[in-house]
Amino acid sequence: MTNQKKIMFILLAALMLLPISACSSAQKSDGEKSAQTTADPVKQGTKKMQQINKNLQAALEKNDTAAIKKYGKQLNTQWLSYENGVRDRFPLQYAKIERYQQPIYAQSNLENPNAAQVKENSRALTDQLSDLLAAKETKAKPSKQMDQAVDDYLKYADEQIDQLVKTTKPFVQAVKDGDVEKAKKRYTLPRIYYERAEPIAESFGDLDPAIDARINDVETESDWSGFHEIERALWEKNSLKGQEKYADKLMADVLSLQKKAKSFKLTPKAMVAGAMELLEEAATSKITGEEERYSHTDLVDLQANVDGSKAVYQAAIPALIQGHKDLANQIDKQFQAFDKQMLKYKKSDTEYEDYTKLNKEQIREISNELSKLSKLMAQTAKIF
Amino acid sequence: MAKDDLSTPNEQKEYSRRDMLKMTALAGGGIALGASGFGTVLELLGNKNGEANAANQSTVPFFGNHQAGITTAHQNYGYLAAFDIDPSVHDAAKIMALFITWTRLAATLTQGKREVNSDNKELPPNDTNEARDLGAANLTITFGLGHSFFTKDGKDRFGVAAHMPKQLTAMPHIAHETLDPAISNGDLCVQVCADVQQVAFHALRNLIKEALGTANIRWMESGFLNAPKGQTPRNLFGFKDGTANVADSEDQKNVIWTGSDEPQWMRGGTYLGYRKIKMIIETWDRDSYSDQENVFGRKKNSGAPFGQRHEKDPVIMNKMPADAHVRLAHGTGKQIYRRAYSYTNGIQPQTGNLDAGLLFISYQNKPQDSFIPMLRLLGKSDALNEYTDHIATGLFAIPAGIKKNEYFAQHLFE
Repeated sequence: MTNQKKIMFILLAALMLLPISACSSAQKSDGEKSAQTTADPVKQGTKKMQQINKNLQAALEKNDTAAIKKYGKQLNTQWLSYENGVRDRFPLQYAKIERYQQPIYAQSNLENPNAAQVKENSRALTDQLSDLLAAKETKAKPSKQMDQAVDDYLKYADEQIDQLVKTTKPFVQAVKDGDVEKAKKRYTLPRIYYERAEPIAESFGDLDPAIDARINDVETESDWSGFHEIERALWEKNSLKGQEKYADKLMADVLSLQKKAKSFKLTPKAMVAGAMELLEEAATSKITGEEERYSHTDLVDLQANVDGSKAVYQAAIPALIQGHKDLANQIDKQFQAFDKQMLKYKKSDTEYEDYTKLNKEQIREISNELSKLSKLMAQTAKIF
Repeated sequence: MAKDDLSTPNEQKEYSRRDMLKMTALAGGGIALGASGFGTVLELLGNKNGEANAANQSTVPFFGNHQAGITTAHQNYGYLAAFDIDPSVHDAAKIMALFITWTRLAATLTQGKREVNSDNKELPPNDTNEARDLGAANLTITFGLGHSFFTKDGKDRFGVAAHMPKQLTAMPHIAHETLDPAISNGDLCVQVCADVQQVAFHALRNLIKEALGTANIRWMESGFLNAPKGQTPRNLFGFKDGTANVADSEDQKNVIWTGSDEPQWMRGGTYLGYRKIKMIIETWDRDSYSDQENVFGRKKNSGAPFGQRHEKDPVIMNKMPADAHVRLAHGTGKQIYRRAYSYTNGIQPQTGNLDAGLLFISYQNKPQDSFIPMLRLLGKSDALNEYTDHIATGLFAIPAGIKKNEYFAQHLFE
């Protein structure tokens, strides 16, 4: 090294180590300050969560919708008040709690929450909260952490694909029965699971196009199959005549995807790249209304893409908080901001506002939040 | 630092340790690093081998008493863009961080350099690379603040409304305008000019990329204007545009630069007045030559005012029709400094007519006494109105030049 080179190197190194940005310094996490004493904010916060969760379960027993909504929201407020401390010290438990707490919150924002679903998540949350209370802080080695992250993510993707199979069946049945109304109602649910796990499907050459191609993706219409072909029949033609073969093929393709996914291997880099692909998908074909051009259910897909990329982020948290705590914090906040904005358009589990009902400003707003998310998520590659 | 971004040892000698300390200090800024915390490392080493293309290599200093891009010789291409502060931003610290990042980036790009990429190839590149081989091409980047940056819906947004420039207001309604709000006004503005369009676009693109999340692009316009050296350029009507611009530095002080009647931080700055003026080109092209000259009050080829022989000869008002453009503008007795660009944007699909016109940009120290009254008068009576349509507007405060180791609008905040 010449002298200049040396100096430059030292300066650059110093520059990179400079303490994080102005906006982050205000949000020092609780976890950094205290050891595990009785005043441990994580323990205290978790006990409060348990209490609210109990109240929620009581409300569920009584079928008291107002109370279910109230406690579902309270759980979220309580979680937000101390989640940074959990993420910093118990990243594994953190992701699991988010997984059950967030659907509860989403339901509690609906006019008529799905009580059965809330109950299921609330029960799972009870277990996770106990785990968290008993958890010890452990720091795995970075390489192990990434392997664990991939495992966690694949588990998530598998679950989504299992659900895809489960929900495609009744949809396909309705199509074969020629029941247009029923098929329309059953269309969106499998779409959600597919869009969440799309990076996995994209790894298997022809499967993604066979299941999810839009008409302009194929050279000739005779090569076209999958969800969107049936979508056109349902919404544009309002007739299911001749759709049986597409229904059968869709079911077969989805089953083949499930089989292949079980033995699928993924590298950490490919996992992170997959999260970016999902956000790019959302930012290009969903935000423009091109994906679901007949049913206009684009917002459903859009949220599912973001959910899928969030699963990658959550799996990567243990690695991310080693040296990139500030970034994890920013990403977390941006996912929240995004989800909050989408709540405005959410009507039920499977229904969002019709894409064509949104005005230009609303679409630009969503696009902007999505861009902010993408910009931050691109930085998760810092863990490599 | 990636190996391929290191130049030969010879070139490294161009930079002393002191220079690097300075640059590092700038990147660090008065407060903490940029909001994103990444992309802070400059590519320090300029390309000294490309001297063959002398024009493209020429640079305009970024730091100085006044911002560049105002009295700088008119480059061939210009972009004007406006940004809005992201709705999630409520404290000045984040904005200061953006202005530090922008300053660092502008100081780098205008000198023909770029930000270096990370060693980690899994990360996106910091610089977008399309201007890598093109030199600085006299690139200038000029920053401004809109009225809505200071107050919006009657609220002091970032605690600096008390320091609002004296002549900065929301644009009043002007007769004969059909504005599109989506391409008008904005919290911030950035003018980017260069002699090579790709260099200008590259700069703006990277500024947009860095700003996202703190300030988001609201609109962007691009234009061109070419003239032989030392001559006044012509707009798409075929007439010279900017004949009356003052060249003498004492005159420029009177017309362009703000003085002691402004808050301290705004002195030595100016105001950017903007109108996007659509030209009704086909109608104009079918108008007679003599009528075209009557509309302006100047000779089309020479630019001489009616009754005179040369472009720069004094205007004789009563030699021109009462509604001639130059007569009306001159009659206000006020001066502005014009720095317009022409634009084209394909055709208008309904009619097949060209979509083209003028990005009117002018700089002046008292827009309320010059730019706006001039617009009002012209809006009511200008013969040119038959051939034009004002479709976008803006007024931005352009603070004084940025000094080395300082950042844009620093003295507004600190």
